[in-house]
Amino acid sequence: MNPAELALYPFERPGTLAELCRTLSARAGRKERTVLLAGGTDWIVERVLAPPEDPDDLPLVLDVSRLPELRGIQLARERATIGAATTFLEIRSHPVLLRRAPVLTAMSRDVGAIQIQARGTLGGNLATASPAADGAAALMALDAEVVLASVHGERRVPLSQFFTGYRATRRAEDEAIVRLEFVLPRTGAHQAWRKVGTRAAQAISKVALAAVAELERGRVVRAGFGMASVAPVTASLPTVRALALGPSLASVSDEELDAATRRDIAPIDDVRSTAAYRAHVASALVKAFFRQLRAGPGL
Amino acid sequence: MRIALVLNGKKRALDAPPLTRLLDLLRGPLGLTGTKEGCGEGECGSCTVLLDGVPVNACLVAAGQCDGRTVLTVEGLGTKDELADLQEAFVKEGGTQCGICTPGFLMAAHALLAANPQPGEGEIRESIAGNVCRCTGYQRIVESIRHAAKERASRESG
Repeated sequence: MNPAELALYPFERPGTLAELCRTLSARAGRKERTVLLAGGTDWIVERVLAPPEDPDDLPLVLDVSRLPELRGIQLARERATIGAATTFLEIRSHPVLLRRAPVLTAMSRDVGAIQIQARGTLGGNLATASPAADGAAALMALDAEVVLASVHGERRVPLSQFFTGYRATRRAEDEAIVRLEFVLPRTGAHQAWRKVGTRAAQAISKVALAAVAELERGRVVRAGFGMASVAPVTASLPTVRALALGPSLASVSDEELDAATRRDIAPIDDVRSTAAYRAHVASALVKAFFRQLRAGPGL
Repeated sequence: MRIALVLNGKKRALDAPPLTRLLDLLRGPLGLTGTKEGCGEGECGSCTVLLDGVPVNACLVAAGQCDGRTVLTVEGLGTKDELADLQEAFVKEGGTQCGICTPGFLMAAHALLAANPQPGEGEIRESIAGNVCRCTGYQRIVESIRHAAKERASRESG
């Protein structure tokens, strides 16, 4: 559509989370469509690329980008809490996250150029639910939980269960993603972020791997993976994870890792890459992470 | 919607549909055509402006989201008669050719130097990684930014 048509959409800026939830509830009850707008790095682009919508049936756009309840990063008792409207730039600039969750810092630096980092948010990344979402991959490796709010209160959904299909999530029409929570990996845990795309700054991933592992006396006691662009939803690589958590890291062969990776992904040919290339890169990234684990202590 | 913002250092208020793109607000009712539209999809960085001091693509920001905030465009850097040092550096070092991408590069570089007055080459390149130029091959742009940083440092020490 012509970008000028964006001006037709109704827009409101709720002042509090309670007000947002009331509006969402009322509209969901009347079967009226609502869009929650944060950085606009997906929604505005999609509107411009898509054919125009019926001007008599436009969704209400609610700006959540500055809702206080959705903002900020808190770290307490080894738990990280990140507001859904926190931007990638804010995450990337956080000194404690850099030390304890560098997988998140590295992802935030890679997700797009600074103009995109400044606008894009973790909550938006999850709500859009693109299988190519870098933020979803990193949060999955950290075993994050999604906290949703509605007029009925809050509920938590493990990120591993949040995506139900291509661009579909468990978020109900009357709910908003308010924050993400995860247990901080212990200091020195292995964390890796590897993104493969056509351009360092501004590319959508052909394949990306986020990986987290804590080692204790040569055994992996915590492991998490998130892989982008290799399945209809962000892949959590459960078979690979089981291998990591097995009795002996040293005895896991490359062939086993290849087979596990193949089992955990379902890559396709699309505009950005091919299934064969993605399968090859996915295996290579997984094996590289295991080599890093076998090499000894983390950061 | 009534939108009040600080634009290039001056308080401005105007009525506009809230989902108008900041880019269209600037180039239309505000008459600031220095900010250019390239791709309109947040890929090329031509429309880069600073929102509260941080580079953003004006094609992806809703005007209603700028209410109460500070926006700096290329018109806020220097005047026609007196260019900012960064603009002078782009002219002197050949950082501009056809010119369409130049306002975006200037804004990205301006934000970089405000936060990091003596950036290394890697930091310069990362700061402009969201800006596409099809003329210069980037080297002259990097040199221009480095030159501006050096000039500032020598002015301060001198």
